[in-house]
Amino acid sequence: MENLEDLKMMAEQWSNQGIEYLQKIPQDQLYAAVGVLLFTTVLLLLSIRLVRRTKSNTVLLSGLSGSGKTVLFYQLRDGSSHQGTVTSMEPNEGTFVLHSENTKKGKVKPVHLVDVPGHSRLRPKLEEFLPQAAAIVFVVDALEFLPNCRAASEYLYDILTNANVVKKKIPVLLCCNKTDKLTAHTKEFIRKQMEKEIEKLRASRSAVSTADIANDYTIGIEGEVFSFSHCCNKVTVAEASGLNGETVQVQDFIREYIKP
Amino acid sequence: MLEQLLIFTRGGLILWTCKEIGNALKGSPIDTLIRSCLLEERSGEVSFNYGAYTLKWTFHNELGLVFVAVYQKILQLLYVDDLLSIVKQSFSEMYDPKRMRYDDFEETFRQLSVEAEARAEEMKRTKQVVKPLNGVKKQGQVSKEETKKSNGEKKDDEGKVSSVSNGNHKMEDDVANGKENSADNNINSVGVDVSKLAKLRSKGVRGRGGLRKADSLGSNKGSSKVEPPKKATKKNRVWDDAAAAPKQEEKLDFTDENGDNGHVDVVAAADQGESMMDKEEVFSSDSESEDDDDDEPRSDEKPEAKKKGWFSSVFQSITGKANLERTDLEPALKALKERLMTKNVAEEIAEKLCESVEASLEGKKLASFTRISSTVQGAMEDALIRILTPRRSIDIMRDVHAAKEQRRPYVVVFVGVNGVGKSTNLAKVAYWLQQHKVSVMMAACDTFRSGAVEQLRTHARRLQIPIFEKGYEKDPAVVAKEAIQEATRNGSDVVLVDTAGRMQDNEPLMRALSKLINLNKPDLVLFVGEALVGNDAVDQLSKFNQKLSDLSTSGNTRLIDGILLTKFDTIDDKVGAALSMVYISGAPVMFVGCGQSYTDLKKLNVKAIVKTLLK
Repeated sequence: MENLEDLKMMAEQWSNQGIEYLQKIPQDQLYAAVGVLLFTTVLLLLSIRLVRRTKSNTVLLSGLSGSGKTVLFYQLRDGSSHQGTVTSMEPNEGTFVLHSENTKKGKVKPVHLVDVPGHSRLRPKLEEFLPQAAAIVFVVDALEFLPNCRAASEYLYDILTNANVVKKKIPVLLCCNKTDKLTAHTKEFIRKQMEKEIEKLRASRSAVSTADIANDYTIGIEGEVFSFSHCCNKVTVAEASGLNGETVQVQDFIREYIKP
Repeated sequence: MLEQLLIFTRGGLILWTCKEIGNALKGSPIDTLIRSCLLEERSGEVSFNYGAYTLKWTFHNELGLVFVAVYQKILQLLYVDDLLSIVKQSFSEMYDPKRMRYDDFEETFRQLSVEAEARAEEMKRTKQVVKPLNGVKKQGQVSKEETKKSNGEKKDDEGKVSSVSNGNHKMEDDVANGKENSADNNINSVGVDVSKLAKLRSKGVRGRGGLRKADSLGSNKGSSKVEPPKKATKKNRVWDDAAAAPKQEEKLDFTDENGDNGHVDVVAAADQGESMMDKEEVFSSDSESEDDDDDEPRSDEKPEAKKKGWFSSVFQSITGKANLERTDLEPALKALKERLMTKNVAEEIAEKLCESVEASLEGKKLASFTRISSTVQGAMEDALIRILTPRRSIDIMRDVHAAKEQRRPYVVVFVGVNGVGKSTNLAKVAYWLQQHKVSVMMAACDTFRSGAVEQLRTHARRLQIPIFEKGYEKDPAVVAKEAIQEATRNGSDVVLVDTAGRMQDNEPLMRALSKLINLNKPDLVLFVGEALVGNDAVDQLSKFNQKLSDLSTSGNTRLIDGILLTKFDTIDDKVGAALSMVYISGAPVMFVGCGQSYTDLKKLNVKAIVKTLLK
């Protein structure tokens, strides 16, 4: 108890001293000091944020619902698809060192991977992530490709004409998933079909000018048949199998743009 | 028995499935549930049917987990809700975001499911006891009323319920009676009936059990169409009806008690002995009412808890509240619902949306420096954007080109109630298509309203578009068919079919429309609705869809594919109709008509609508 009393006394003394000391300092000087302190902290926070943004390590996994994004996400993170997946309702996010690189020596820069749900109702979520994206992996179901070709192409078209993607030239990987299945289409076939579809879309989308929502940018070269090589950002094609964990090409792509 | 029980994250990773009952499910009920129920803001609903399965679910919003139970539709499993909630409770205790396998949950689950089943069994048994009690209570109403007037209301309710259930009995019985008209049978049955009744009554004086048996016997046999005990239930029902009616009056006027008593006695003369039973019931109902009393203070506490000081609310907003509860959300949701309704959103839909948002927020942690109202608003905004974002592609031009490649015209049918602007907006769409070098043809299939064909002809002349018309009093389905054939011949890309306006309740006209759609199989059925409409939007769209599916003759039914919202320029900020229509039909808004000239056709700006709705 006495200890407590002592402490109280001490504290009172100190506070009195502090107040006296403060009263000695002129008022405007005090305000200036506080102002400078606030200013510097704000500046510091802003600069940290800016630095972070310039060195983005975000990779987006996008694609239609059911193309295998979530499985791919967990393959890249844990090297296993666990017990299977169902339709995602929310994005999966994670910052980690890719599973296959865990054994590597030395410091490896972690990747911020985001698996954006593919359901059309959740499309607007993608736009939230696009500004910070360093690379985009567009996953296509190579097994059930033809029935979904149009929808997938439309989605890809929306991504390729997005202002962020065009301005920052965000590279896109067209990842043909589920190649472990026998009847899966080849990546060349898928690339050609999607180019054809996008060519058609280019014609029809430019028509929707009366609409108050239009894509800001057009892609490809006027008067020429569309090809992915015409895009100002780099579009590459790769194969993967989320179920078997064959994701080497995807990993290479990620590491190409996010240096370890 | 359960077919399957899954636990997965909102991100879509399955954390645990019951291997023991791991029957392979037919189709993909879980994915369908997520896509067509949970993502459509219908998660406030109780269950979801998929093929032969019924699915029930619950969320753990704080951890972002979803628990889904799948069972056969024909089984009425009462314990599923209970099981889900206890599974949720015990699983959330062991959940760790870093852990991916929960094999040891198997054992816990087995225990929980056994417990839940046992509890359900018990519930069933007690319910069976309670039900017949209610049946008997009616006769004892008077004495109960005297002893416990405060209980009066509750009993009245019970009385009503049981009288309703007895009413059902009556209907069943009548049907059964009608089937078996043999007089001999009836006489015999009455004889058996009376003797049986007497026996049961003598037993039943002391205990309720006897009468319950009689009741259950009656209902059982009634359903198996055996005559005898039916009379017994019938008799019961007569007293019930007689007693139930005065009971309602008693609520208002207690002086009539004696009269009622007499009334009951007169009708139920055979059962005077039963007044003894009533006392027992009084006890039982007392215990019930005590339970109720126990409940009441609990519910009283909540508002008190809510009435915390200003300081604590500020403190909470800084630190972040532990977990959001239903009671915390209620005021904010109520305000939000009202705001939506002032924006002309149909009440039913505002209600459902709020339920869904509530389900998605309950149990969630409130972030620091946020208020409940802003959290709720954010969740609602997400939900609205999700709803209004089209599920299918609304790029008509693309579809037109696809049809062109197949060398067939793209057929659009405009349907809707009277006077919403079908013909006007058809002309606008025609103008828009024409602007993009698509050859259009109009088909005047409004052969009902005088002047309709002339109106369309005027538009066609001004736009220099060919029109297919066959005058009035023709079958519109046939006119449309001929128009499509004509278009195929002369190489038109798009056929726009104008139909007569019809109220959603007009059976013959709806039949004609269904015929038109089934016969011609259009590529797009466009519902034209005016943005001015409020609660009626739900009725219109659901009835149109309903009638189209009911009256269709072929196997695959065509429903409404898209919505054209007209008169959008007249509504200022009351944009709720767009939301109501999209929510109820699931079809996207493809065009918005917003003026008088041909150019006044727009696409829906989802973000602007959501902003206006929540303003």
